[in-house]
Amino acid sequence: MIYWGGNPAECHPRHFTKYSLMQKGKFTPNGRKDRTMVLVDIRETPSAKAADLFLQIRPGKDFEMLSALRAIVKGQRVNEETVAETGLTVAQLQDLAAQMKAARFGIIFFGMGLSMTRGKHMNSAQILMLAAEMNAFTKFVAMPMRGHGNVTGADVVMRYTTGYPFGVNLCRGYPRFNPGEFSTVDLLVRGDNDACLVLGADPGATMPQPAIDHLARIPTITLDPKVTHTSRLSRVHITTAVTGISAPGTAYRMDEIPLPLRPALKSPYPTDEEVVRRIRQAVARRPAWLPGRNGKAAI
Amino acid sequence: MLKLTLKQQPTVPLEAENISPDVTAGLANDAIRALHVHHGKRMCRLDEFFDVEGETSDDLEIHGDASRVKLIGRAMTRGRIKIVGNAGMHLGAYMKGGTIEVTGNASDWVGAEMTNGLIRIAGNSGGQAGAAYRGSLAGMKGGTIIIGGNAGLEVGMRMKRGIIVVKGLVRDFAGLQMKGGTLFLLGGAEIRTGAWMFRGTIVSLHPLKLLPTFAASCAYNPSFLGIYAKHLATLGISIPHEAKDGAYHRYCGDSSVPGHGEILIWKGLATSVP
Repeated sequence: MIYWGGNPAECHPRHFTKYSLMQKGKFTPNGRKDRTMVLVDIRETPSAKAADLFLQIRPGKDFEMLSALRAIVKGQRVNEETVAETGLTVAQLQDLAAQMKAARFGIIFFGMGLSMTRGKHMNSAQILMLAAEMNAFTKFVAMPMRGHGNVTGADVVMRYTTGYPFGVNLCRGYPRFNPGEFSTVDLLVRGDNDACLVLGADPGATMPQPAIDHLARIPTITLDPKVTHTSRLSRVHITTAVTGISAPGTAYRMDEIPLPLRPALKSPYPTDEEVVRRIRQAVARRPAWLPGRNGKAAI
Repeated sequence: MLKLTLKQQPTVPLEAENISPDVTAGLANDAIRALHVHHGKRMCRLDEFFDVEGETSDDLEIHGDASRVKLIGRAMTRGRIKIVGNAGMHLGAYMKGGTIEVTGNASDWVGAEMTNGLIRIAGNSGGQAGAAYRGSLAGMKGGTIIIGGNAGLEVGMRMKRGIIVVKGLVRDFAGLQMKGGTLFLLGGAEIRTGAWMFRGTIVSLHPLKLLPTFAASCAYNPSFLGIYAKHLATLGISIPHEAKDGAYHRYCGDSSVPGHGEILIWKGLATSVP
């Protein structure tokens, strides 16, 4: 079990005990004792205490280390001097590759320490390629450790409705996928949109300043149970019930298992679903734009 | 020559694949004014954003800051487009022939998956020039892209054939997953150049920070560079290629794939091969 660029002890506190490290299984009757855990990170976090092997790499060197690891797994030569710049030695990588090959079922959990540092999607692609290639030797999978909110749920629903997980444009009536062009942060930074509906997210707290400035410039509507950075800069903030506490719904676990949520309390506020449905009904009352209907576009 | 002048900046990006000599040639000016462009979800007439003047021909000139106008010259097969100003995304994507010139800067995906023709950007370019679209197996399969300034990420991603020349600095992942073709980095590149490359050649006139999966091979003067030098000289670009100019250090990789690509780094006169 490899954790890469994540700190589950603090960020996903139930992960070790309920889902990954400690659980006993049919082929791991002794739980933790039957598993080997490796942590790869740029600093010694509290998760390192739970690890059998902690590999500390230099910041921003994940892609280089993964490149070297992929080559070593295939028995290819690597440049020792350049590997040393990652903070590790070739011998350490060879040892890690040997342990990975010796596993009966390996898994790599990668966090935002990998996916949000320089290289971003390419770092994720590199680790997914490593997991895919490890299947030439043993069973291996890779899974992202997601951040706040139900990101997995958004990805899953977008995937089964449009065929793509994110960065989808529906302007032409069919989905077009191009991260970097149609993904939210890029649209906002370039100022490509002239309105924004924010649901279950707080981009005002997490996105780069040009994106936040653009959100403040355009009509932004936020649906959130509480006041957030985004709702402060929005033209409209609609308070909604908290899903899972006072509203029913479905959340997707990080392994894409859907979990139905039952409300424990009543709320005076409408649910997100109800607000969106009412907005949709109001929009549907307006005449739809079709070529040739509005005179200007008689082509 | 047909002249289009941008009279109003679109509030959201304009998708204008109809701005191409293949579409406009042979059409009367009124028909050109009625060509459709996509403004967000709405389909609009071209003359809502552009003044159309001049006589119809294969020669098209666009004046104004068209940095929010996407898909100019998409899949064009002939003629010439000159943009006096900046150009938006996907300029000359899927281009099959002809020439595009930009006097200012261009955005991402210049010449993506082009198969022939020439694109010349005087200023800077965004990322993914000559690259393959997401999910596509191969990027540019022919033609030439010349970028006068700096370029962004993933230049030449999955390119299979053709030539890209960048005079300024290129950002990360230049020549990512290259399958063929030649990428000239006259101003050097940042990091992870040639990552995952299978084949093809990257030539840099400045030192590069290479991945650990590239192995030093030799120092020499590749004779094939002379052929490229002659061709590039016709486009106003000179590269050192003779023995007196100094040697190139050859690195091969990327062994993580494993690939047979090569990176040639010019070492200047100090390391010339005897």
